Amino acid sequence: MTLTLVTGRDGKLSAQEYPEVAESPRFTCALGGAYGATLAVYGAVPILHSGQGCGMANAQGMTYASGLNSGGPSGTTVTPCSGLIEEHVVFGGEDKLRRLIDSTIQVMKGELYVVISGCVPALIGDDVDSVVAEFKDRAPVIHVKTSGFVGNGFLGYNHFLDAVIDGLLKPRPVEKKLVNLFGIVPNQNIFWKGEIRTLKALLEGIGAKVNTVFSDFGSLGSLERIPAASLNLAFHPWAGAEAVKKLEDKFGTPFEALDFVPTGPKDTSELLRLVGRRLRIPSRKVEAFISNEEKYVYRFMEYLAEMFMIAMPHSFIAAVADSRTAIALVRYGANELGWNPELAVVTDDPPEWSHETIRRRLTEGLEGPGVPRVLFEYDSHKIRQELKAQPLQVILGSSQEKYIAKTENEAHHLSVSYPTYDRLIVDRSYAGYRGGIAMMEDMSHSFAGPS
Amino acid sequence: MTHENEGQGDPNRINLDDITCPTREQRANGINAFKGKASELVEQARNGQLRNCERDFQQNSGCILNFYLTVRVATIRDAVMIVHAPVGCSAPAALYREVFRRLWASMNKAADFDFHWLTTNIGEKDVIYGAADKLKYAIEEAIRRHSPQAIFILTSCASGIIGEDVEGVVAEVQPKIDATLVPIHCEGIRSRIVQTGYDAFWHGILKYLVKPRRNPQPDLINVASMLSYTWQDRVEITRILGKIGLRPNFIPEFARVSDFQALSEAALTAPVCPTYTDYLSRGLEQEHGVPYFLYPSPIGIANTDEWLRTIGRMLHIEDRVEDVILEERKLWVPKMDAIREGFEKVKAANGGDFRIMGSLGQGRLVTQTPFFHELGVSTPVALCQDFDDLLLDDVEDLLKRVGDFDIIVNTFQAAEVAHTARNYNPDMVLSCPFQGSAYKREKGMTRIHALRGDGRRWSAQAGYAGAVACGSFLLQATKNRSFQNTMLQKTGDPYKDWWYKQPDPHYFHRKEEAAGS
Repeated sequence: MTLTLVTGRDGKLSAQEYPEVAESPRFTCALGGAYGATLAVYGAVPILHSGQGCGMANAQGMTYASGLNSGGPSGTTVTPCSGLIEEHVVFGGEDKLRRLIDSTIQVMKGELYVVISGCVPALIGDDVDSVVAEFKDRAPVIHVKTSGFVGNGFLGYNHFLDAVIDGLLKPRPVEKKLVNLFGIVPNQNIFWKGEIRTLKALLEGIGAKVNTVFSDFGSLGSLERIPAASLNLAFHPWAGAEAVKKLEDKFGTPFEALDFVPTGPKDTSELLRLVGRRLRIPSRKVEAFISNEEKYVYRFMEYLAEMFMIAMPHSFIAAVADSRTAIALVRYGANELGWNPELAVVTDDPPEWSHETIRRRLTEGLEGPGVPRVLFEYDSHKIRQELKAQPLQVILGSSQEKYIAKTENEAHHLSVSYPTYDRLIVDRSYAGYRGGIAMMEDMSHSFAGPS
Repeated sequence: MTHENEGQGDPNRINLDDITCPTREQRANGINAFKGKASELVEQARNGQLRNCERDFQQNSGCILNFYLTVRVATIRDAVMIVHAPVGCSAPAALYREVFRRLWASMNKAADFDFHWLTTNIGEKDVIYGAADKLKYAIEEAIRRHSPQAIFILTSCASGIIGEDVEGVVAEVQPKIDATLVPIHCEGIRSRIVQTGYDAFWHGILKYLVKPRRNPQPDLINVASMLSYTWQDRVEITRILGKIGLRPNFIPEFARVSDFQALSEAALTAPVCPTYTDYLSRGLEQEHGVPYFLYPSPIGIANTDEWLRTIGRMLHIEDRVEDVILEERKLWVPKMDAIREGFEKVKAANGGDFRIMGSLGQGRLVTQTPFFHELGVSTPVALCQDFDDLLLDDVEDLLKRVGDFDIIVNTFQAAEVAHTARNYNPDMVLSCPFQGSAYKREKGMTRIHALRGDGRRWSAQAGYAGAVACGSFLLQATKNRSFQNTMLQKTGDPYKDWWYKQPDPHYFHRKEEAAGS
């Protein structure tokens, strides 16, 4: 059907397309990403300088979308918000923000207060930095310069890290073997809590020290400790990538761009070897740890093997996920389960410069003759059409694929990416040695027993 | 009370030539804060003394777009919702689509339950150059993809501040397409009172979708209900209306576009939540002569009786209604008596009383408070989301029946609620599902309601079955508090001690009048 409603600059009808117009896209806004990152720092209190609904929209559209989570002690209706309305648009919102920061410090327990500005102050030109600076002698307060219209939640995570680096960090003596974890984006990566916990245990297993930055009880201390690391690990192709570069420039901390959190023994062992080398940990020690872990996992894989061979051997699969989740699961499926990845839909709208890396990670180093077709797409309607056109037995996606997997593909489905509304995810993850087993455990309900 | 004879002098007269509704503040002196006796609230409202207030400490509470228009408009079948906004503003819509799909499947209903919405995803370039063409493109896509009968266009803070001419786009595009465009002006910055968003929605419905009254359907009853009433509430309302030979026309969730078009043909508009239904009900009467009433709602046995009686009176089928009431009471009153006996035991073990504090919308205030009395429990204080002049007569009526009580209007500000709960120390706090750490208590606490997507009979609240289900639920909530107690003991509280020690939950309210009030 041809239908043209758009008028070009010359006033004539135009066939101009706007691919960013999308059905149910796979992320929240940058304000949401910064809000989620703040909530992930235990003891930090977010202060939204925004309209009244931004926080609640991101409760239902972000924390609940990451496995039905509430926002934690400072989330949902607890989060302070300036609740801007027309009078602030006319007269400015600075005075309201000033009073809100002041009252928040009085009322709410917090080690760090994080002002996150939304669309309204960005559009009316509030000087938020100046207001925040007034509090520098009273409490640690930083400002995340973002808004809802600058980009998505992954970008908001970057903006949060920017604010931390610029507003909080000072040089520190380097601690040997200390690593920071970056690129595990709270909420937008739905397994963030479990991934952080798993990676910490693994890296400590080979003798590294781990500053998780997010999720631990360290709060302000974890953030302030960032410059003490001797190595930064970036687990995402683009979220956190600028931060680790900035930290190298500012504090001389080297980084390793890992691009994904490994699922299953093969990639996990590779990660540990790489980090071990970078931290000059004796390989004897690393290999001893690896061998123990692998022995355990492969022994236990035997318990699921028969079920697996009945239900989903050599499956054609699609991954519909943010870049790093897609990479991890495509690699695990192809290299350890004997799956045939047909389609990888990358849903986090990565910046152009990172596309090549993502494409390479999704297509190189895979067992089997074929490689998946890689699509960068976040429009749920278009994704659905792509899936429909493809014979598939397994769809690893968001809960938006749950119904169509069954009816349109006859495929097993598991929610592994944002938004995930069909399962509660607290500290579960598919990271590390046991990650693949955990994934199988979670998929079993889709084919086993009475439905 | 009924409003069948309101005339031209009504300050609530709706002007459909306007692009949208007035705000609740403008239309009905809506306020976001009050603390005192219910009698004082009514008196001050009558004297025009109530003022909106600016809070120096304020927390998330939802805006007129997201409390919860996006999640509801998205469920309208054979329609597409376009949210003209940055990407986060429509994020909540994803949640309810999936919640509702699960419900639908589990209840073995029709399969065409595939909701669609688009965001124009307003970006940095758009806030400089405008996004009218993106909106037009979104309309194109909506039609190409789904051939909808209606397209709802919801505005946002960003589209409002950058001055998007949505009406201009509608005027230009509508003649070229078959789908009816329904612009809804729900910029979050418009109002402190979230009900303004629903008025804006009904304005769009009345202005663009409702068709002239051609074939009156004498057995059709319009019922618009809040998201906080569940699937089973619809089942129950359908059942009791069916017994007197009537059919509900449920809107907005899951309705077809044709259901909105037929609103004018109904015999009357009956409330489940008066404050929510008000604008629509008035508009349907004013424009199409469909009578309405706003009170009571079918919550509790007595209110359900009265709800049915009012319908019977207005449709002149009193006898039929009385027969049904008699029959229903025979079935349900003994069950209700058993629940009341259960509460008597709880009260006896609790020193003779059981005090419940509920967080209520304005509509729930006038309906649920009598229901608590029906259960034999007392309400030391009612927390009310917002308050306006629309239900003054009904609150006065309530005062006459249940006596005076403390009332706090606070848009459910979490710290104010926590302070009030600590201060009044009721035996049971009933709170919204999304109310932060309010569940951590020594004494009882439970949710005041489930949400539409909950299909269990256990979670029902409306009609006779709902009264009994809800009563049982509350009685059940008195039995074991280990979750609330344990979490209280083992986890922290977000607020500092002094907040609770100082006496005023409204400590941070600015005393001067807020602009726009």
